[in-house]
Amino acid sequence: MTTTATRQPVLELRHVNLHYGSVEALHDVSFSAYAGEVIGLVGDNGAGKSSLIKTISGVNTPDSGEILVDGTLRHWRSPHDSMEAGIETLYQDSGLAPDLSIGSNVFLGRETRRRGVLGRLGFVDQTSMEREALEHLSRVGITISETNRTVSELSGGQRQAVAIGRAIAWARHVIILDEPTNHLGARQSAEVLKVITSAREHGLCVLFISHTLPHVLEVTDRIIVLRLGRVVRDAPTREFTVESLLGAITGLNE
Amino acid sequence: MSTSSDRVGSPVVAAPAPSRLRRVVTNQQFVLFLVLLALIVFFGSRNSLFFRTGEFSNLLTDFSGLVLIAIAETFVITAGGIDLAVGSTTAVTGVIVAGWIQPLVNHNVNQAVVLLVGTLASIVIGALAGGFSALLITVFDLVPFVATLVTYSVGAGLALVISHGAPVGYNPGAIYWSASGVGMVTWLVAIVLVVAVTLGVVLHLTVYGRYNFAIGSNEFAARAAGINVRRHLVSVYVLAGILAGLTGMFFYIRSGSGAATTGVTNSANLVAIAAVVIGGASLVGGVGRWAGTMLGAAVLTVVSDGLIFINVPPTWIQVVVGALIALAALLQSFRRRSRRMT
Repeated sequence: MTTTATRQPVLELRHVNLHYGSVEALHDVSFSAYAGEVIGLVGDNGAGKSSLIKTISGVNTPDSGEILVDGTLRHWRSPHDSMEAGIETLYQDSGLAPDLSIGSNVFLGRETRRRGVLGRLGFVDQTSMEREALEHLSRVGITISETNRTVSELSGGQRQAVAIGRAIAWARHVIILDEPTNHLGARQSAEVLKVITSAREHGLCVLFISHTLPHVLEVTDRIIVLRLGRVVRDAPTREFTVESLLGAITGLNE
Repeated sequence: MSTSSDRVGSPVVAAPAPSRLRRVVTNQQFVLFLVLLALIVFFGSRNSLFFRTGEFSNLLTDFSGLVLIAIAETFVITAGGIDLAVGSTTAVTGVIVAGWIQPLVNHNVNQAVVLLVGTLASIVIGALAGGFSALLITVFDLVPFVATLVTYSVGAGLALVISHGAPVGYNPGAIYWSASGVGMVTWLVAIVLVVAVTLGVVLHLTVYGRYNFAIGSNEFAARAAGINVRRHLVSVYVLAGILAGLTGMFFYIRSGSGAATTGVTNSANLVAIAAVVIGGASLVGGVGRWAGTMLGAAVLTVVSDGLIFINVPPTWIQVVVGALIALAALLQSFRRRSRRMT
């Protein structure tokens, strides 16, 4: 903790509150996250995990409290703002466009245009996108023979790996992964967890939301436990076991 | 870059691609091209007059009356929607434009001015019709099928009200102009083909086209990637309306008058959708090719004209079109299954 205390957090939440009508979704949530850190965000259904990530990514606007990215106070008007500030979010089931090529998916919404007049007319530079997508993905340990094949030809685990690789490629500070190993088998989950580890090596901060506690314990450095909209534990992963984590989530051992 | 996809310790992505030959042979556009050639040979062998340049010119003109709304459907369908309104938008634009520019014709205004005014008017009317569908879909959250059915019905009714059920206006000059050109290709056809090719380029080579496929493939992913899905969908239905409006102007130029039956009694909306489906597009969205739609429209044009040429009663044409759609759909599902097996 002494090493991180001197560094500036890439993401900091200060006293964030969020209500849906009279329902209190987040209550006085504060935490700091640092570059090169994988943070597990766990909690029961309705604990506020989704509300929290939607607040960080700009889908929700908090009623009070502050969000700082890399030391700068930020106010999101839309998810687009948080993307521009260097935060990439991979929502549960949002995924990729299956009928587009892997390269087109990596560059979706950020298409490289051709040079000169054609580029100004909106022409895409497919060759350079396919080439760069291949480089991006291989840097995070995803080996692809051809990026011009469609995503529909990949397995579920491969798709998720590409989706995370895409988020890593564009994020400058934080990537938020909402249940990335949901519906995946053991081997496919291992592929995905490996890509998450490589995001840490790239100096990114990863917020990993999951119900699968062994995955959380395997891949994270620190775990934040949410219960009824509040942060009830925020501690290094080595201090938890599956049992103690489960206890913190349910509040039964207090 | 290593082509090995089983490097130890790395997630493995993408199985080896099927051979190039297999891809070409199972390619829907390639099969369609062969079907088109076979149809031309068949009709030509039954009646050699089919190969006359005059008949070829007729085919091109009939093709032009279908191809713009078929391309409109390609944009809408690959974006995950459907547009049932194009046929009646064609009709209502035809009768309104004919009524508006008849006074210009009566006062012997320069033919080029008449055509220019008519074209601009048809773009505006078409855009309004498409905008009405877009409003129902994006603001009132109606599904595209229902929204465009509303627009279709309103358009078909308005066309009858405005025209009192009779052709509107008479402009023989338009007919003379439409029949002139270079060789078999009239100016009218040439302009339609230029518009068609431009739209193909937009669909497959630009950011706009890319967003179109992305939205049709996974709307949520498109939105998460920062694409303004609502704005894009509005533009797509407006584009479809404009192309239907231009088709209305096309038939006005061709016949010299506007009629409420144009595009309605022949179910042009369904023929256009058939061209897209025969061309290999998926009605779920995300999959489709401009070239497929062009070939689909060509096949439908050759079949309908050719059957008349070999004295098959026109009433049978729709039955044959139905069989063609069934064949195309079977081919598509066969391809999908064979790809899954590789």
